[in-house]
Amino acid sequence: MRHPGSASPGLVAAAVVGVLALGVAPTVLAPYHRSLALAILADVTLAVSWAFFSGPTRYLSLASGAFFGAGAYATALVLKSTPWPVPVLAGAATAAVMALVVGMLALRLRGPYFAIFTFGLAELAKHTLIWYETGVTGTVGRLLLNPPGPLTLYYTVLGLTLLAVGTALALRRSRWGYALVGIGADEERALTLGIDTTRIKVGTFALSAAFMGGVGAAMAPRWTYLDPQVFNPLVSFQTVIMALVGGATTVAGPILGAVFLGLASEILLVKFRYYYMLSLGLTLIVVVLLVPSGLAGLMRRAPR
Amino acid sequence: MKLALLVDILIGGLITGGIYALVALGLNLQYGLMRVLNVAHGEFLMMGAYLTYTLHAAWGMNPLATLLVTAPVAFGAGVALHRVLYARVLASGEAQESLPSRSLLLSFGLLFVLQNAALIVWSADLRGYRYLSIPVHMLGTVFPANRLVAAGVALLLSVGFYVFLRRSLTGKAIRALMQEPDGARLVGIDVTRLHGVCFGAGIAMSAVAGSLISMLFELTPFIGLPFTVTALVVVILGGLGNVAGSLAGGLLLGLVETAAVYAAASDVRVIASYAVLALILILRPSGLLSR
Repeated sequence: MRHPGSASPGLVAAAVVGVLALGVAPTVLAPYHRSLALAILADVTLAVSWAFFSGPTRYLSLASGAFFGAGAYATALVLKSTPWPVPVLAGAATAAVMALVVGMLALRLRGPYFAIFTFGLAELAKHTLIWYETGVTGTVGRLLLNPPGPLTLYYTVLGLTLLAVGTALALRRSRWGYALVGIGADEERALTLGIDTTRIKVGTFALSAAFMGGVGAAMAPRWTYLDPQVFNPLVSFQTVIMALVGGATTVAGPILGAVFLGLASEILLVKFRYYYMLSLGLTLIVVVLLVPSGLAGLMRRAPR
Repeated sequence: MKLALLVDILIGGLITGGIYALVALGLNLQYGLMRVLNVAHGEFLMMGAYLTYTLHAAWGMNPLATLLVTAPVAFGAGVALHRVLYARVLASGEAQESLPSRSLLLSFGLLFVLQNAALIVWSADLRGYRYLSIPVHMLGTVFPANRLVAAGVALLLSVGFYVFLRRSLTGKAIRALMQEPDGARLVGIDVTRLHGVCFGAGIAMSAVAGSLISMLFELTPFIGLPFTVTALVVVILGGLGNVAGSLAGGLLLGLVETAAVYAAASDVRVIASYAVLALILILRPSGLLSR
């Protein structure tokens, strides 16, 4: 494993070329390919922001779907009345607040309890919204009128992706990042060493949720109609699988995993929905059983 | 009239609770023994339900008689899954702390595989049949006979299993393994074999509960997950690894839910079960009835 501080010049050059290509891409790509690129960028952002929290701390979060959904729903509520970047900020803020509350309550649960809790969170949010929409507002969903143009959406998501990757890189080099690794290795010892574990855990959880909410908010205008089904547990699982397939303790791992599975999902999900989801399940099983290196972050003490 | 309502809620609650208890017992057996939190548990229930449906609809088999097929098939599948998947994770000698997370991810993988396999085979259309839908008058209220039969079988199996755990030698071995895994190994209990048997038994209980449920409701491949959540609530309510707690918790939750549906609307039920799960996890992570 390369020391986090020593990215090789070749890697830096490749990254710069990649970012430039991503910046130019939407002006030359056909609409279908542009929307494919957009979806993959969204997946990359979700996987990277999941991994910078769950990777080092080994808290297995299945709440990505809930944060994504919260962001999307926030957009649906404010899109009509505010200029563009505001809905994204609103989505990020909504998800972050949700994560703060959940984090305060749930982050003392370890192992599978935390995973179950976060999984239940998405379902609870979905069913409460369904109940609220049908019972109180008398609708089943929201129309998204006057969406911003496709280029605006693309650059918004690209911006979020770069920010998330930047955050993940910065965390690896910072004291904050080492504290996260310490929490994953032995939380009580970390506490004894004077690390404010609660603040660091909840803060990072909320930061990761903010990115997920932002992505949800930026992706929502692509659908003209939104209902509570946007709180989709599939989003949570896809995010986890993408990060784990690539390796959750690295920054490059979730990116590669998301590109690979994002492509597969965009191509296969519509045509062969059930077969795709079936193979997603098989992939998860195979990764857990046979590719423990991909699981390094969650399953092993991270090397110093 | 007040008495009739009370009897209605009481018996209705016991009917639901009996099935909950059976599903939760299976889940708790797996968790108590192996620290494996099997979120695909409800998918085996769904598979059992479809197996009964297919045997009845295609070959005209009596739904109750299909239990004799569902149980051994599910048991065999459980033993095989344990050997292929869980035994490898449990034996991998990784840090103890990572085992629950890995086995949890495995069972989420299984959930996807089973649910989508069912969607491919049976499609998302509602499937159902009518069996024993004769009204039975008792204590001033009316219940369909199929619900009484299903609840009776579920309760019989749950209590039977509990007695088996208390009285038989194998049952004692299982309890020993739950309480003191290392000690059990020392006195010569074959841990891996017993794990396989119990995993199979847990899955068989879930599948049998599914067979019973197929007599009552119409089926879709999505019926599994809500039962997993309910079973999780029951297991956490009664304490992880506490078998008697699951039995009591299942019946209690059945009663509370039935009463809640009478008092409020039925669509609040799903919200209530997730909210209860979240609350218990926050307040009493080791179970309400735990010592």
